[in-house]
Amino acid sequence: MNIIIKELKSHRKSLIIWCIGVIFMISSGMGKYVGLSSSGQSMNNLMADMPKSMQVIMGTGSLDLSKASGYYGILFLYLVLMGTIHSAMLGSNIIAKEERDKTSEFLFVKPISRTKIVMSKLAAAFINIILFNFVTLVTSILLVQKYGKGEEVTRDIIMLMLGLFLLQILFLSIGTAIAAAKKHSKTATSLSTGILLFTFILSIVIDLNEKIEDLKFLTPFKYFEAKNILYGGQLDSMYIVLSLVISCILISITFVSYNKRDLSI
Amino acid sequence: MNVIEINNLTKMYGKARGIENVSFNVEQGEIFGFIGPNGAGKSTTIRTLLSLIYPTSGSAKIFGKDCIEFGPEIKKEIGYLPSEVFYYDNMKVKDLLKYSASFYGKDCSKRIKELAEIMQLDLNKKIDDLSLGNKKKVGIVQGLLHEPKLIILDEPTSGLDPLMQQKFFELLEEENRKGATILFSSHILTEVQRLCNRVAIIKDGKIITVEKISTLQENNYKKFKLLTSVTVDKEYFDMNGVSNLVLENNTVSFLFKGNVNPVMKKLADIEIQNIWVEEPDLEEIFMHYYEKEE
Repeated sequence: MNIIIKELKSHRKSLIIWCIGVIFMISSGMGKYVGLSSSGQSMNNLMADMPKSMQVIMGTGSLDLSKASGYYGILFLYLVLMGTIHSAMLGSNIIAKEERDKTSEFLFVKPISRTKIVMSKLAAAFINIILFNFVTLVTSILLVQKYGKGEEVTRDIIMLMLGLFLLQILFLSIGTAIAAAKKHSKTATSLSTGILLFTFILSIVIDLNEKIEDLKFLTPFKYFEAKNILYGGQLDSMYIVLSLVISCILISITFVSYNKRDLSI
Repeated sequence: MNVIEINNLTKMYGKARGIENVSFNVEQGEIFGFIGPNGAGKSTTIRTLLSLIYPTSGSAKIFGKDCIEFGPEIKKEIGYLPSEVFYYDNMKVKDLLKYSASFYGKDCSKRIKELAEIMQLDLNKKIDDLSLGNKKKVGIVQGLLHEPKLIILDEPTSGLDPLMQQKFFELLEEENRKGATILFSSHILTEVQRLCNRVAIIKDGKIITVEKISTLQENNYKKFKLLTSVTVDKEYFDMNGVSNLVLENNTVSFLFKGNVNPVMKKLADIEIQNIWVEEPDLEEIFMHYYEKEE
């Protein structure tokens, strides 16, 4: 319990900054929607005139931009990016920092097993990503409803946030597994964000090139896309299972390799 | 009873040597010195004892229990001071010590105050703002606050001024009187000489000898220096056990090993103005052990 509280305290500031970032992102994004939707132009036509690659990079795809929910769908991609970067960094930091800051000769000589230390750190990390998700959820519902002209969005947004949460868990476990398995803890964070960036770019490449669509299970960014959730009405259960299985495997790797290896001091 | 039992402990870092077949025991209630130059394997041995790193082969027991398998359990009674202290920078000293105490499941606030007073440590400062010596003090308080039965110190005096070292040694002697066993690693011989009952000498990852400090000094050379009234022949001191003989005017100096009686009788036959017989200090013994190996 003491480790959880300590970790929550030490990540409090960064969590607050991330939350402010998310709130700013949603409010400024939805603010633009107001401007565009009141200008009288049909946004869908405007977007359809753009080259395919531009559409992909903007993340518009087949979203109905005349509606607040569709516009929020674009925003969701960026929220996913923020959420996953946050959790990947959090995951690798929370494990690697004892070795990075050379405090392992303090913590690991205490009468507590490494398994329990990792468990406490994971618990603290989970609380962090839950709070991140919750702030995103509440801000989204409030703002999309405000601009939505009576459009019923709560259920859709909850679905999207569920998808975001699964991705957060997945990238958190990528971060912890890398930090736990790697001997040189200093590079753990850059490696996990590197993987994140790679999979993100892969998801864009897949959007641009339909021939390699089979690769989409390789990139978590294709698992829960806004257009599928908004117009399909639910998360794809195959991807729910896939992301949970990957997360479980990575978390077991975290425990096993952190228990087995020498701490670098 | 042995508090620490180390059996053929070996640790390789890949192909690089850490320690090889290290074996020694530390008995209950003693202050045990662990001495060797930098990079000899002192910290590696200690870190293995604390299961921060795992041995390649061999094993170690603390309080009769395997130090890896029962790690969390035995660590309840271990206080550890690392050679370099690093703590969470943004914490206050007070909060760090409270955090440290929270792992032992008992109220240590009184002991924290006592120790801070002895070591003259300001509890309200941020760890960030502390000098190296003051950080070391935090380490000392942190290692002793739960009144451990085994205190492991890895080069503990670096960064402390002589006055603080003195206080720290008194504190250790006090803990020792109260029943704590102490493993004291150092490359500074005088402090080991002052504190320890027994000592293990380690070099290049191997234990060279484990001896009582007193035996170490006894079994070794004595330094003789005499001022004679008349000049003495060099041949006069030609006997077993004499070495490094130097004659200079009326001053004679040599090292002697073995039974002192024959040499005393021989000396009695000369007119002597003055005589000095000195125990060599550990430094010289230490160098002697090192040279012997090479």
